Amino acid sequence: MMETVFELSQARKSFGAVHALSSIDLQIARGERVALIGASGSGKTTLLRLFGAQLAPDRGEVRVLGCNPLVLGERKLRELRSRLGYLPQDLGLVPNLRVLQNVVAGRCGRRSILGSLRDLILPAVGVRRRIYELLERVGIAEKMYDRADTLSGGQQQRVAVARALFQEPAVILADEPVSAVDPARARDVLELLTRLSEEEGLTLLVSMHQLDLAREFFPRLVGLKHGNVHFDGKPSELGSEGLSALFDLGDKAVVL
Amino acid sequence: MKVPGTFWLGKRLAVVALLGVLLVSGWVLGPRIIQLSEGADPFAEAGRFFGAALSPSLADENPSLPQDARPFLLRLGESLLRTFRYALIAISLAVPSGLVLGFLASSAWWPGGMRYGKAPVGRTIMRGMLRLLRWGCRFLITLGRSIHELVWALFFLSALGDAPIAACSALALPFAGTLGKVFSELIDEQSQGSRSTLMATGASPVQAFLSALLPSALPEMLTYTVYRFECALRSSAVLGFIGVETIGLGIRQSYESLYYGEVWTQLYALVIVVVGVDTLGARLRDRLNRGATRKAVPELSKLESGRSEARLRRTAPRDWIVRGGLLAGMMLVLISWTNGRELGINMAAEQRDARIGRFLTKLTPAPARPENSTASGSERIEALEGKGKAVKDWAVDLWSRNGAEALLNTVAIASSAIVLAAMGAALLLPAGSRALARGEPFGVLGAASRWVHWWWSGVGFLTRSLFILARAVPEYVYAFLLVGLLGPSAWPLVFALALHNLGILGRLWGEVMENQRPEVPRHWIQSGAGRVQSYCGSLAPLSFNRFLLFFFYRWETCIREATILGMLGISSLGYYVSIAHNWLRYDEMLFYVLLGVAVVFAGDVLSDWMRRKLRGEIASS
Repeated sequence: MMETVFELSQARKSFGAVHALSSIDLQIARGERVALIGASGSGKTTLLRLFGAQLAPDRGEVRVLGCNPLVLGERKLRELRSRLGYLPQDLGLVPNLRVLQNVVAGRCGRRSILGSLRDLILPAVGVRRRIYELLERVGIAEKMYDRADTLSGGQQQRVAVARALFQEPAVILADEPVSAVDPARARDVLELLTRLSEEEGLTLLVSMHQLDLAREFFPRLVGLKHGNVHFDGKPSELGSEGLSALFDLGDKAVVL
Repeated sequence: MKVPGTFWLGKRLAVVALLGVLLVSGWVLGPRIIQLSEGADPFAEAGRFFGAALSPSLADENPSLPQDARPFLLRLGESLLRTFRYALIAISLAVPSGLVLGFLASSAWWPGGMRYGKAPVGRTIMRGMLRLLRWGCRFLITLGRSIHELVWALFFLSALGDAPIAACSALALPFAGTLGKVFSELIDEQSQGSRSTLMATGASPVQAFLSALLPSALPEMLTYTVYRFECALRSSAVLGFIGVETIGLGIRQSYESLYYGEVWTQLYALVIVVVGVDTLGARLRDRLNRGATRKAVPELSKLESGRSEARLRRTAPRDWIVRGGLLAGMMLVLISWTNGRELGINMAAEQRDARIGRFLTKLTPAPARPENSTASGSERIEALEGKGKAVKDWAVDLWSRNGAEALLNTVAIASSAIVLAAMGAALLLPAGSRALARGEPFGVLGAASRWVHWWWSGVGFLTRSLFILARAVPEYVYAFLLVGLLGPSAWPLVFALALHNLGILGRLWGEVMENQRPEVPRHWIQSGAGRVQSYCGSLAPLSFNRFLLFFFYRWETCIREATILGMLGISSLGYYVSIAHNWLRYDEMLFYVLLGVAVVFAGDVLSDWMRRKLRGEIASS
């Protein structure tokens, strides 16, 4: 029996009158690579944020790495979050800080205030070495001391990946990592994430709307529609009818 | 593309309303612009004064100075250095206090920034207490800002005697308030992405504040500090008009002796220093925005990773000019604290205490004063008891005698000045725009003739220089000179305020237009519109809300400034403040100052409300 990393049972979440997620059941096991697909507004980001212990469900239960975040105190909650690598859509880099300083901020959750200040201003040799190796792995080692806003979009994405890796996370949650880059870069990023996930046994949960890439890189697809799980299975099980239903295309044929 | 409207007003209605404000204020201030004594010819005197602009003096104009008197240029240099020194000391006091105030006035670091489920009771209580603390800080900030540095200086010099530290603290107080306000706004306006990402990975709000918000706000905070230093220079110069030994004192003395050549030399010197700091600030902003980039990546392939990292670190791109500049700034602060005239109060402790005691006694409303001036705190409070009625009568009397009229005049001066400044800026803007005032507006092919290119570049350069010069001279100096030429009516003050603010609005509005996306105005030019048509039809309406935003910000500043310009002898609040000060009636002085505070508070609240509305409008468009 595989260990379950994420689990939602009967989870609902609404923002005011908008039902983002209605009654979802979903389980993701350790080491799985899952793509969340669906049209804009189908609830992908909300689902990611539930799993990231950033949002609490209105009803139902969410379990993250085996615990219910709702019963945790502030300290434990932060500890839990520090084990969830998170790549937001806007990357969340500080543009006028160096790559090193952006990456080192990834481990704030495990440092005291003074410790994180020291990391920011005068990081220890060991920390610098470790970050250099991480940057080597994501392929931008020579940018370590450059300002984040001097990097290209694809390179900035790698900084965000390195920051998530520096957390030494159990999982990586990525929100639309390939929506703002050109097709070649998109492929690069997904290759990088899949490789890292294979090497470290990381669970990978990525939201996206590029079906071709999702099919190519992920053994499991979860399709969301109007806040419900509409499809959950292998890419080969998702036919063209299922697809047009998922994206509300009506009778229009889907070219695969 | 949709041109965004102004909240509940249309643009036309807004413009008509502002013109109405100008008319009403003008009616309040009355029609007499020139108010000289019988028989005086304003044009002859003005001709002599402006004629002297071309022949500034390099030596004393006073023929009867003793042989061993210090020469004019030396005195000028010294007073300029002192102006610089006091401004530096003031800013070095204001920045740390502004940082603390700004931190406490921002809510970005409060616990529970990323709420999950129900907040525990302890945290709710904590946030409530922090909210109280924040309100306290905001009150302090507004109080410090709403009393003009000149008024603070009158208080401090009366209480402590003629000590440089009194003048510097008077400058530092309102500057700390302004810095605190702007710092907290800059921090709150940073993009929240990096902050929420760090909190999503387990950082505490304080850590996210220190690692994400503060670093990204730091460049703007730094350039704003340089701008504030430029303002401190101007204010330090103005302190000379009430007797502090800065360049303002020299300007006043030379002007009153009719040595116009000397006046111009000192004005030029002041303008050069202020424009120098202005340019430095612009350079700094450029460099900080661009950031240092690496020239070449060192050869790393043959090294093991530890050594490669060390080599990268050694060759990391660093902006030595910015670093050197910051270091030099700190050195200058250190030098100003330690060199030159003793800063502290140069008298014995008992003498000083007695002086402060006397000051406090005179500060107490006359009907409620204790019998002896050495009274302790509890005796003073006792003296106040039961005198409530008498104090109230005293205040009502002051209000109906001068207060109400002074208040009205102050608001009218500020309002007509800012509307005049806005009209001037709106007219001059296209000529000062870097995108429009050039041979090829917005890069669209222009006339082939080289003369056309030179003509437009010249127009642009001259207009921008006019803006710079207009704002380099403090409004108080303009007002002093204009009152001398036109006589003591309210209009010289209006013109002085308008001229200075023309320069500031010209710059702020110009930046708004530069930050506007160029597609729409370029499209106008491409479809055959002229420069002015493109400005009136696309740039101005597109920028209208942001223009209003800065307009209200400057209106608020004008009200603050107008409260003190009256010190030059026109019946506004400042006039009664300075009269009361001259008669050593500190209680009355405090009354008029508090009236001014009330006006500035009201203006602050009103303009803050308007600006929030406008920001919402801008964000949603």
